[in-house]
Amino acid sequence: MVDRDDAENDLTRLRDAIDRVDEVLVRLLNQRAKYAVEIGELKGHLGLPIYAPDREKQVLQHVEATSAGPLETAAMRRLFERIIDETRRVEREASSHQ
Amino acid sequence: MVIVMEKHSTESNIEHVVAELTTRGFDVHRSTGSEHTVLGVVGHVDTIDPREFELMEGVQEVVRISEPYKLSSRTFRREKTVVKARGVEIGGHDVVVMAGPCTIENEHQLFETARRVAKAGARVLRGGAYKPRTSPYAFQGMGVEGLKLLRAAGDQFNLATVSEVMEISQIEGMLPYVDILQVGARNMQNFNLLSALGQIRKPILLKRGMSATIQEWLLASEYIMSGGNYEVILCERGIRTFETYTRNTLDISAIPVIDKLSHLPIIADPSHAVGRRDKVMPLARAIVAAGADGLLIEVHHDPEKAVCDGPQSLYPDQFTRLMDELRIIVPAVGRRL
Repeated sequence: MVDRDDAENDLTRLRDAIDRVDEVLVRLLNQRAKYAVEIGELKGHLGLPIYAPDREKQVLQHVEATSAGPLETAAMRRLFERIIDETRRVEREASSHQ
Repeated sequence: MVIVMEKHSTESNIEHVVAELTTRGFDVHRSTGSEHTVLGVVGHVDTIDPREFELMEGVQEVVRISEPYKLSSRTFRREKTVVKARGVEIGGHDVVVMAGPCTIENEHQLFETARRVAKAGARVLRGGAYKPRTSPYAFQGMGVEGLKLLRAAGDQFNLATVSEVMEISQIEGMLPYVDILQVGARNMQNFNLLSALGQIRKPILLKRGMSATIQEWLLASEYIMSGGNYEVILCERGIRTFETYTRNTLDISAIPVIDKLSHLPIIADPSHAVGRRDKVMPLARAIVAAGADGLLIEVHHDPEKAVCDGPQSLYPDQFTRLMDELRIIVPAVGRRL
């Protein structure tokens, strides 16, 4: 039996750890978005379409290959689909400001 | 808008749809499922004809999330609209009963009926001056002379007035005499009439067409509201079903449905729905219990001699009894009569 107080302490500790990971994730996502802004500006400059299905496929394959679990490949793909959705929007806005 | 791709749609099918949406400036939220891929479309999707995408290869269905009606929707306005007609508030805390004869026949008939319904607690006097009759040989109504009587009876017994407008040319002549203009079921999709009513500043009582869906009904109200007239009262009056025993089937469920979808007041007319006096009272009780903001009921001081719709008109005594019953039901649903 795990002591109830110990378990509650563990829960607090793990939740704090998740908060710290989230802070890093947010920073990284924003860094990713900054690159997207630059890409959007370049695409606007070059007249390239925002939607690049082959590149999106590459990104997803790269992410899936990099992931070692425990998140399943499909779960990782779903998460990155949302990241890509938002990135596309960021790129579109950046390109239209050109 | 959501686009659901077919089970065996290929990656290039999906890419084609995403590319088309992106080119048109929409944001796409892709969700790859184990069987179906779903694409959420974000942006001003009103401009999209869903059929265009339904026809694309690999698309199973296109589902609109946002409703096509805007001004009448709860999304546009959360709090309920209260329509005011000569001091009577429809859509507020009080359940408002509108009663009177189907057709204005003569002074005695109208004043006698008005006196009785006012005494029983009705707040609005109804009476037709222009009648849409199934047969062109039937009595067509008293016209402006009838409206003058309606105004006089309303003034004498402190009742607001409601009467049906049949065509655009009648609108102006009705304004001095009528506090609420009624659009009948047969005219619910007479879009020219509805647009013209959008230009005036008087409450409109919009009856549901006998074959109209709730969406078509709300879109009809949109024609009035988009002209700037926001004072619209919706009135359920029965829809065509396979049942022949009653004239129409009163769609009680429309009352809570409208209340959820729209901020407009919703009332119901049991008289036209059922077409028989003996069934009017139970339906009226059900309408109020279902949460309607009011009732529109036909009452005639002498139904046997009525020129029109006598069999569905209540005797004044029956109306008084109904009002007594409603006074018991109304507080149970948190309202006042």
